[in-house]
Amino acid sequence: MKPTTVGVIGIGRIGRMHTENLVHAVPDAYVKAVVDLKGVDPAWADGLGIPVRSTNVDKILKDPEIEAVVIAAPSGLHVELIRRAAAAAKHIFCEKPVAFEPAPVEQAQAAAAAAGVKLQVGFNRRFDPSILRMRQAVQAGEVGEIHQLRVTNRDPKAPPIDFVKQSGGLFFDFAIHDFDMMRFLSGSEIVELFAVGAVLVDPEIGKAGDVDTAVITVRLANGALGVIDCSRQTNYGYDQRVEVFGSKGSIIVENTTPTSVVCSSKSGVVADKPHETFVERYREAFIAELSGFVAAVREGSPVRVGASDALAAVRAAGAAKASHETHLPVRLSEDVQPTSGGQRR
Amino acid sequence: MRLITAGILGAGRIGKIHANNLMAMGGVRLKAIADPYVDFKEWPGGTIATSRHPEDVLKDAEIEAVLVCSPTPSHAEFTEAAARAGKHVFCEKPIALDPVRVRTTLKTVQQSGVKLQVGFNRRFDPTFARVRQAVVNGEVGEVHLVRITARDPAAPPIEYVKSSGGMFVDMTIHDFDMVRFLSGSEVEEVHAYGAVLVDPGIGKAGDIDTAVTSMRLSNGALAIIENSRQAVFGYDQRIEVFGSKGGIEAHNETPARTVLRTGAGIRSENPLYFFLERYQRSFVIELEAFFSSIREDKQPPAGGADGLMALLVALAAKQSLLENRPVRVEPLGPPAPKKA
Repeated sequence: MKPTTVGVIGIGRIGRMHTENLVHAVPDAYVKAVVDLKGVDPAWADGLGIPVRSTNVDKILKDPEIEAVVIAAPSGLHVELIRRAAAAAKHIFCEKPVAFEPAPVEQAQAAAAAAGVKLQVGFNRRFDPSILRMRQAVQAGEVGEIHQLRVTNRDPKAPPIDFVKQSGGLFFDFAIHDFDMMRFLSGSEIVELFAVGAVLVDPEIGKAGDVDTAVITVRLANGALGVIDCSRQTNYGYDQRVEVFGSKGSIIVENTTPTSVVCSSKSGVVADKPHETFVERYREAFIAELSGFVAAVREGSPVRVGASDALAAVRAAGAAKASHETHLPVRLSEDVQPTSGGQRR
Repeated sequence: MRLITAGILGAGRIGKIHANNLMAMGGVRLKAIADPYVDFKEWPGGTIATSRHPEDVLKDAEIEAVLVCSPTPSHAEFTEAAARAGKHVFCEKPIALDPVRVRTTLKTVQQSGVKLQVGFNRRFDPTFARVRQAVVNGEVGEVHLVRITARDPAAPPIEYVKSSGGMFVDMTIHDFDMVRFLSGSEVEEVHAYGAVLVDPGIGKAGDIDTAVTSMRLSNGALAIIENSRQAVFGYDQRIEVFGSKGGIEAHNETPARTVLRTGAGIRSENPLYFFLERYQRSFVIELEAFFSSIREDKQPPAGGADGLMALLVALAAKQSLLENRPVRVEPLGPPAPKKA
C-alpha cells in the first residue's frame, strides 16, 4: 500500500515541526506540498524532498492526489480552511484551537461530517506516553475513584506581544490543553469552573488585554474537583506536571529532562532543568498524533481526538474567560460565551 | 540562658507531645500539668505536678508561661485567664471558632501585656522554613503562585467532624496560614469548591472531605490549596512557591530514603504517616521560638493576629462554598451593626 499523500497548510514553527515529523517519522505519509502565505524556504523544502511549495492553498486543495491536510495556519484561519478542505474531500488534521467560540467549531465539525472526512484536533498531550500511562492507570482503577486532578502548565518564556494579541488569550491558546487533559484523564466533563487571572510576568501582556498567570478550579460531572495553574514564564524551562488523586492513591507525571544527570558539589545537588519547550517535551506525542491521524485515514478508523473534544475545550476556555471577567463561577452550557466586560461584578 | 517555668493546660494528645518536648528542652522547667479529664496514671511521675484543676497552673506564681492544649472550645477562656494572671501564652490553633471571640481574647492579651503565640507549627518545619527563606532571599523572585497539597491519611471520626468547625476551620486553616507565611502577603479573596467523596457520613454531618480553594493575595499573587481527608498512601504534604525567577518545592518526607528496584517496578517509601511524625521537629522548634521570644522580649513568630487572619480566611472559604462565589476576606470583620 502506497503512503498517504499529505499537504501542510501553514509552516510557522508548529507547521514546520509537523512537516518534518511526517517526513522523518511517519513512514506511511508522503508530504507532497507545503503552502504558506509568507512563502516557503526552498532549501528547507528541498532538504525534505517536498516538490510542491506555494503561497496558494489551492495547490493543495485542488490536487486530487492529496488525501489529507495538516492545518497549522494562524488560529483565526482554522475554521475557513477546515471548510474548504472538507469541501475538497481532504481528511483534516487541525492545530488547536479550532476557533475561539463554540459555533464555528460546530460549523467545522458539521462541514467535516457532511463531507465524510476525518477531522483530528491537535491535542498532542493525549499521545504523550506518560499521559497515556496515567489515563490507563485511571481506567484500570489503579487510583480508585478520582477525587482531584491537578495540571501545572507553565511556559519557559512569555511569547512575543504580537503573538499574544492574535492568540485568543491565555485561556484559549494555552489553558485549552489543560481543559482537554482534565476531560481526557477523568473521562468526565467539566460542569463548572472558576478562574482567576493576573498579570505578573509582563505588563505588556496586560495592556494587550490578556493575563499571564492563572488559577482555574473546576468541578467535573463525576464529582471530582480539578485545579489548573498556568504561567507564561518559568525561567527554568517548560513545566508540565499532572497529578490524579483518588480513593486508592495518586499518580503523578513529572517533568522530563534533557539528561538524567545529577551533579553534586559543595554548592548543592543540581539536576537538569525540564526540557526547554513543547517541541522537546512532547516530541513523541507530536509524532504519535500524526501517526495516529494517518493510520485513521488509511484504516478508516475513528480519530482519537476529534471536533467534539475541541468543542468541549473551547467551551471551557470561554467559560474561564467569562469567569475571570465577571469574577464569578461559570457553569458550562450551550450558551456560555465570553463576555467583553465585568458588568456582573 | 534564663530558666523559664512553664505549665500546661490540657493533657490530651498534643498536650502530651508538648510536655515531652519541654522535658527535653534546655532553659525550660515544666512544673505542672492540669486536665480535669485525665487521671495521669500513664504519665511519668516525678518532678512534674499533675492536677485536675486548671487553677493549680493559673494561680501558681512561679509559672511564667502557659501552654493551652485543651479542647478548642476552652482555648479562649484559658488564654484570657492565663493572660490576666500575667502569664505568657502558647495557644493551640484555633483560639476560637468565632472571630468576635478571638478579638476579645486578643484584646485581653494585649491589655495584660503578655506574649501570645499560636500553634501554627508548620511555620517551624525546617523544610517549609527553608521555602520561606528562599522567598525572603529573593531566590524565586517576586511570588506569582503558591500551591499547597494537604491530605490527611485517614478521615477523622464523625464525632470529631461535628465539633471541628468544618474542614476549612479545622484542617485548611494550617494551609491558609502557610499561604500567608510563605507569600508574606494577605489573602484578599477566596473561592472554594468542595465535595464529599471520601465518606458520605462526613456529608451527612454537614461537612466536606475534598476541596480545591483558590485565592488572590494582596501582593497580586494567586494561590491554590488542594485538600483531602484521606490519602490512602499517607500524609500528603507538599508545597510549591513559584515566582519571577523560578520555583521552590517541598516534597513529602519519608521514614527512610530507600528505593526498591525489582521486576515489578521501582518503589520508594510512603510519606510519614501523619502530622505527629511529619511535623515532629516543628513542635520542638515552635516552643523553642516561644520561649526565646519571652527570654529576649521579642514578638512571637506566629502571633494572635496570625491566628485571627487564618480563621477569617477559613470562614470566608466556608462562605464561598455555601454561596458558590468568591468571598473577600475582611480583616476587620463585618461592619458592626449601626446603633439606632
